[in-house]
Amino acid sequence: MTDASIFTEDVAGTQIKIVHISGQLDESNVDEKIKEVYHVLELNPKGLNLVCDLEKLEYMNSKSIGYLTDLYGKISDAGGQIAIANAKPNILDILQVVGLTQLIKTFGSIDDAKSSFSAQPAAPTVAPVAPASDPASPVQPVPAQPAVPIAQPTEPQAPQPTAQEPPKTA
Amino acid sequence: MDDKTKITITLPTNAYFMSGIRDFTLTMIKNTTSFPEKWAFRFQSVIDELCNNAVEYGSAPGTEIKITYVYTKDDYLEISVEDTGTGKNKITAKDLKKIFDDRRKADYIFSGIRGRGLVKIVGEWTDEINFTDREGGGITVTVKKYVKNVRQKITTEETNEPNLTFHNKITL
Repeated sequence: MTDASIFTEDVAGTQIKIVHISGQLDESNVDEKIKEVYHVLELNPKGLNLVCDLEKLEYMNSKSIGYLTDLYGKISDAGGQIAIANAKPNILDILQVVGLTQLIKTFGSIDDAKSSFSAQPAAPTVAPVAPASDPASPVQPVPAQPAVPIAQPTEPQAPQPTAQEPPKTA
Repeated sequence: MDDKTKITITLPTNAYFMSGIRDFTLTMIKNTTSFPEKWAFRFQSVIDELCNNAVEYGSAPGTEIKITYVYTKDDYLEISVEDTGTGKNKITAKDLKKIFDDRRKADYIFSGIRGRGLVKIVGEWTDEINFTDREGGGITVTVKKYVKNVRQKITTEETNEPNLTFHNKITL
């Protein structure tokens, strides 16, 4: 199994949790490692504000991105928000090409990500979708529909922190 | 170094080995091709997604997948991944092409954890994709990326002109 670790940090006196993800998330480990994040959601079912700190994340595959999309849907549905902080250029590049940066805002620091939660209300919810098909996630996964059209074959822009409003989804 | 370099790697059907393949791909692209470093990371993802599909669906445990890199100096990089057809999905190249084409439609909505890799990563970061049936069973997926397209895009970004769009050429 490839090395990866996920641990959670509480921000005292807030609904904010920070998950620090490091190493390489790939097919050999993501189903197991991501349980930690679903566990945080299980313990905070309403109004969770989650920062994913990717400073030490070196690689993530499409399934990892699928899980992030699923988490976005679940957290948004429950009146919470999710943000990404400190992603390396190659990680931002892959998040952009699959369209996830249109759903989840990315920031250059954890502080900026935390500030975004107080500045903006909870994101609009996404539509509930098809029943879960992946048994790996401990919280019953109802995979989110990102409603992002398949990206046209254009070059993603150079990775930068983004702060645009997530698109409303039907 | 010759104008054309070919490297073939055969590995057991097990995702455990993919970390090593990704490391090799990154180093090989950085050190032996004229693709920018950013593309070394992208090809790392392309290889990983192709191999994961082959491991998950194409080749049964105990069999193999085969990866072939062909780099023609300053021209293109071609990557092929072959499975044995003994895995849990008994599909043909035509079936796989249909899956790819369906998911590439603008109105296709991805649901679930899986299914984005082939279209949104492999499809977006390559210029051509080709699905072929192998004699004796299995599928070979071959992708190609031209150096000139990468260079054109870099030039476009530097001059702030609108992005050029390179539509994939899909063959069966």
